[in-house]
Amino acid sequence: MVGGRLRRRSRDSGTASIAEALLWLGPALILIIGVVLYPAITLVATSFGRYSITGLRSGDAGVSNYVGFLTSPDLPRVVGNTGVWVVAVVVLTIATSLALAQFLSKSFFGRRFVRWAVIVPWAAALVISSQLFRLIYDYYHGILNQLLLALHVIRKPIDWLGDPHFTMISMVLVGVFVSIPFTAYLFVAGLNGIPADVYEAARIDGGRPWQIYRQITLPLLRPAILIGVVLNMIYVFNSFPIIWILNGSNPGFGNDTMITYMYKLAFRSAQHDVGLSAAAGVFNVIVILIAVAVYLRFVNWRESSDA
Amino acid sequence: MKKSLRLGAVVASVAVPTLALASCSSTGGTTSGSTSGVSSIKVVIAEYSKDHTKTFWDAFARKYQKTTGVKLNLQIINWNDLDQQSSTMVQTGNVPDILNENAYASYAADGLLYNSDEVLPAETKADIIPAFVKSGTYKGKFYGMPDLSSARALFYNTDLFTKAGIAKPPTTWDEFTAAAKKVTALGNGAVGYAQPLGPEEAQAEFAIWLFNNGGDFKKNGKWTLNSAANVKTLEYMKGLSVTDKVTQNNPGSTNRTDGAFSLFEQGKAGMVVGFSPLQGALGTQYPGVKYAIAPMPSGNKAAPQTYGVTDYLMSFKKKGNESAVKAFYKLYYSPTEINTWIKAEGFLPVTTTGLKQFGSDPKLKVYLDTLPNIHLTPTDDPEWDKIKGTIAQNIGLAIAPNGDPKKFLDDLQAQAEAGK
Repeated sequence: MVGGRLRRRSRDSGTASIAEALLWLGPALILIIGVVLYPAITLVATSFGRYSITGLRSGDAGVSNYVGFLTSPDLPRVVGNTGVWVVAVVVLTIATSLALAQFLSKSFFGRRFVRWAVIVPWAAALVISSQLFRLIYDYYHGILNQLLLALHVIRKPIDWLGDPHFTMISMVLVGVFVSIPFTAYLFVAGLNGIPADVYEAARIDGGRPWQIYRQITLPLLRPAILIGVVLNMIYVFNSFPIIWILNGSNPGFGNDTMITYMYKLAFRSAQHDVGLSAAAGVFNVIVILIAVAVYLRFVNWRESSDA
Repeated sequence: MKKSLRLGAVVASVAVPTLALASCSSTGGTTSGSTSGVSSIKVVIAEYSKDHTKTFWDAFARKYQKTTGVKLNLQIINWNDLDQQSSTMVQTGNVPDILNENAYASYAADGLLYNSDEVLPAETKADIIPAFVKSGTYKGKFYGMPDLSSARALFYNTDLFTKAGIAKPPTTWDEFTAAAKKVTALGNGAVGYAQPLGPEEAQAEFAIWLFNNGGDFKKNGKWTLNSAANVKTLEYMKGLSVTDKVTQNNPGSTNRTDGAFSLFEQGKAGMVVGFSPLQGALGTQYPGVKYAIAPMPSGNKAAPQTYGVTDYLMSFKKKGNESAVKAFYKLYYSPTEINTWIKAEGFLPVTTTGLKQFGSDPKLKVYLDTLPNIHLTPTDDPEWDKIKGTIAQNIGLAIAPNGDPKKFLDDLQAQAEAGK
């Protein structure tokens, strides 16, 4: 419908020349070519090359980088970690943000202050937040252990980042912490977009609060939740600093996700191979595209976006 | 229409961060001039410290420019990013003229470097301590010009030793274990030995111990990674945390700088393997910690071995840059330059003149005496660059309670031999 109207108007006023069109599209095209297309082509080209440890290309590798990556013994563990990491962070973020958005959209004394407080983790660079949590989680000097010991919750300190039982949980909590601001504000905007008269009508019909939430708020918030899930999936999957820094002193690949594994393949491992790492990079793009597509199919995206 | 547009947006937002990580851009570059040489050179330096590296190299660049008329474009890069950045430079064909790194043999093997015959004045080469010339020599040619060196020794907290009733630093492994046990028994958070086997620099910690047990990484041109002495060493190192429980919590996940050193600086650790920059930090920032330095205890009753490290200033073959590179080395190795920097950073000299100049400093005596006979890692073998990475990344798993030192070293040996 929109397209039809546009077409008619452009026919009325005559067709723009190609040069004119390029003038308008130019900046965007340059950006897309420079930032998306060129790196993508370089990445794919690199993944088919044979590289020395110094980064010197010594010839074509065919598909051997892909074979090497897909048969690497660490891969199943890394893929499993990535799944746990993405699902746990996204689910916890969405759930917490829904509650928080509900709270932030009510008016109460000091709301402005609370809203600012929620936005702070977003304003801080991920690297800085991660370093901060590294200090908080520290076995010897960390405030978390000192607090729990003082409260007699635990009897001896917990190695939050070094003990394999706790590493992933500790990282997930930081992931949720830094993802909440964006998601919560997305939901606040969504809640503000729901007309007050719908609620009024529901109340007049005798709806209980929980009923109203489930049958009015959640369905009308659906577009915001969809966007929140998709964007968070992508951000969290691609999140590098949190895992890199919090897992930085652990040996091996036991807590790595695909993104940090890719980096280690290139610069921190026995392989030390840029080509292998590029193959991992291509694989990563495909995996997250499939994950997003599956999710969108699962929630019937088309139906809701056309509604 | 609408849908495909949105899908495009999703594709773009998925792809961009992933790709940005994998493909990096590099800046700068050198414009080759006429046959008479180049008008500028690009010099990439590792950041040894926030305080001194930039100060020295900025002044150096000015001096170089003044004496040669060639512009020196300086780029200082953090150690954490250096591998990635230098790899990108080579990948994109945008190599610097001079690169400061902790490995050179792979670059030499790829045919990217000048050797000393081409760019190093003969008298400069003669001044470099022979042990470092040897470690910088790949296939008979000297490519890895050393910029500075460091040697490791055993630091022990004398307050904790006195409290635990230990009269003198340990000279054998049995004495070492006993001393560590006594310090640990003091309680109150005391740690007998701070053992850094996390991925930062675990190969150094391993090297120090195995050199003092008659072990080595390579002997007579053959890899000896899983030799009996090495296996015994790693088992002993594992025992310190697993059976004797005299180390800090989880050594396999403890890095050197922010882990083991910081415990020693807090006065919590009885012993740690340290080097002169730690000495500097203790002197200026943690004057409350009373400590002394001793040679490493020996596992095989032989004389103590000193483990040393040197980094390199290598030069890349580029059209017309020989004379500019030669002038760079000439200026860098002049005693006022190199020794000023080494002193500021708290490291050790690599030249004979430097040895003499530093010899007057009593604090450095314990290291300087060992420097000519220093025991280095096989940096002259490109394969070592990968072996080193594997040790650093995975040794922590081998010394974990469920780890298997022998299997780890067998795998390492297999990796090294397969690389040939």
